[in-house]
Amino acid sequence: MDDVVQAQTGTPPVRGAEIAVDGLAKHYGSLKAVDEFAINIRSGEFLALLGPSGSGKSTILMMLAGFEVPTAGRILIDGVDCTRLPPQKRNIGMVFQHYSLFPHMTVADNVAFPLKMRGVGRTERRRRAAEALKVVRLDGYGARMPSQLSGGQRQRVALARAIVYEPRLLLMDEPLSALDKNLREEMQLEIKRLHHELGITVVFVTHDQGEALTMADRVAILRGGKLQQLSPARELYERPANLFAAGFIGEMNMIPAQWDGAALTLGTGERMVPPTGAVVGTVGQGAVTLAIRPERLTVCDPVTPDALQATLREVVYAGAGTLLIAALPDGTEIRARVASASLPPALTEGETIGLSCPPEAMLVYGEEAAA
Amino acid sequence: MSLQDFFRPDGRHLSRGGILLLMAPFFMLIAFAFLYPLISLLSLSVTEPTAGFDNYARILDNPVYGKVLLRTLWTALLVAITSLLLAFPVAMAMVSSSGPVAMLIGACILLPFWSSVLVRTAAWAVLLQRNGLINEAMQWFGITSEPIRLLYTQGAVVVAMTHVLMPFMVLPIYGALRNIPEDYGRAALICGAGPLRVFTEVTFPLALPGVLGGFILVFLTALGYFITPALLGSPQDMMIATLISQQLREFLDWPFAAALVGVLTLFVTAITLAFSKIFRFDRMMGGQV
Repeated sequence: MDDVVQAQTGTPPVRGAEIAVDGLAKHYGSLKAVDEFAINIRSGEFLALLGPSGSGKSTILMMLAGFEVPTAGRILIDGVDCTRLPPQKRNIGMVFQHYSLFPHMTVADNVAFPLKMRGVGRTERRRRAAEALKVVRLDGYGARMPSQLSGGQRQRVALARAIVYEPRLLLMDEPLSALDKNLREEMQLEIKRLHHELGITVVFVTHDQGEALTMADRVAILRGGKLQQLSPARELYERPANLFAAGFIGEMNMIPAQWDGAALTLGTGERMVPPTGAVVGTVGQGAVTLAIRPERLTVCDPVTPDALQATLREVVYAGAGTLLIAALPDGTEIRARVASASLPPALTEGETIGLSCPPEAMLVYGEEAAA
Repeated sequence: MSLQDFFRPDGRHLSRGGILLLMAPFFMLIAFAFLYPLISLLSLSVTEPTAGFDNYARILDNPVYGKVLLRTLWTALLVAITSLLLAFPVAMAMVSSSGPVAMLIGACILLPFWSSVLVRTAAWAVLLQRNGLINEAMQWFGITSEPIRLLYTQGAVVVAMTHVLMPFMVLPIYGALRNIPEDYGRAALICGAGPLRVFTEVTFPLALPGVLGGFILVFLTALGYFITPALLGSPQDMMIATLISQQLREFLDWPFAAALVGVLTLFVTAITLAFSKIFRFDRMMGGQV
């Protein structure tokens, strides 16, 4: 392959790869690990594949890398069909969950390894490895062995090894899950910075929604091998496409209700008229779910019109914010996260309170969306 | 000592006394059945028939003994190398297979242990004899026109000893290969290494501790091997174990046999020390894989 040894154009950012995935499927016997998955990833985009374990996110990454051959579908990288191309010919960078540094090589040899495989000369290799180590802020660590580094440092080395040959696509398979919380946050920023500096396209697999929302331009939510929603972080949080996405990302109050085409009837007969924008997708008459984020609720007088009446069960004070756990008359639990300063001073458990939310915070999902 | 003293306060590790207690029967067996006979034998070599190193001088004086020693080292080396060449692919196959296939390979490796070495050696004698299966097959295929001598050659000894000792090579290599995380191979591939380079740059170097362990085990066992060379080798191509046995049983020359044992022990010790140096060096390089 000609493009394996990439032309050194000098200054980054390189243009990231464009990826088109169409009808991708991976079946293991009767199990459909990935089913009819399609996505277009823009050049330089940071895409997160988010889902619980078994959702197919890792299988998709394995197929992008070339470790798994799809049962059906196509993967185009920059317009070139790579579906059946072996991984060593794809010119992709990859960071693995457990770093996967070669323990018998020094840090510098690890980072220079991809260059060695591409036939780059020894001095040039050393120079570029040192440069890549500088990019991940591990200047001068080249002579050490991986076993002498901390987890965070090892992951930086893995990152340096993945970018040293200036690939246009970087795959990351839950790269931060083995790190502790502080280090993870630091590395999130570090990876964001690198993405920005290098202009490389990144596909990042995670089961941590906070990580996906923080880092990615767009997030793809997967469940049972199927794409549930593909949107920018903010839209994903504020307007989940279906009940699964609504429940998977962040906290969500799910209130069962009846829908007659214009108004909602809650369990004990209260009627509410949500704004037209509140209905997500097409919702038929009958049983629906009213979804409201806990932080969109505010406490008000129980007799306020349109307020939900609820019995306060628990008040969990946590400094700046307070979590209120209450029950609607039909027993449905409802949670509100409110600023502690906005609360009336004497709230007692067992008391009846009113909960109200701005109309645009209401989302109505039909039953079929729960499938 | 109460049971409490057996453990360290953490409850999971043994106290020093506990370790000693566990090892005591084994130490006693070693001292009684190995160290004592070895020391008394070696002392025989420097006290009989006269005090001094006369017996060792005899080994040096007659080039025949040096030749036997060299042949023994060479044969053991051949056996170890052949075992390695045969065992590595088997270990690779074991690591990358699962379920019934893995069980089948494992059974093939362990099956020889269910029959005695004598039976396996005798089987080779049957195969290699003048009108045995191998000679007949070679004539049938037209490779040879008449039966050739296969039995009672160094080749027969190497082949049969490789067969007997190969499991000791497979198991440590298998252990080392199995400890290499799957992601290492993937990481090497995505870095641009083809399958062959994944092997030479990552898999083999990381399997080296297992290779060295298997190699030393097979080599040292082959050095002192008796039955197979005695049954399948020629008297002209004698190995040291056969020589020692001859000195003991035919010439009843215990002091000289003891000196030969001393030389063999010296070689085994030196080689073990050399290998363990390499081992430690390797551990320093690789950390824990």
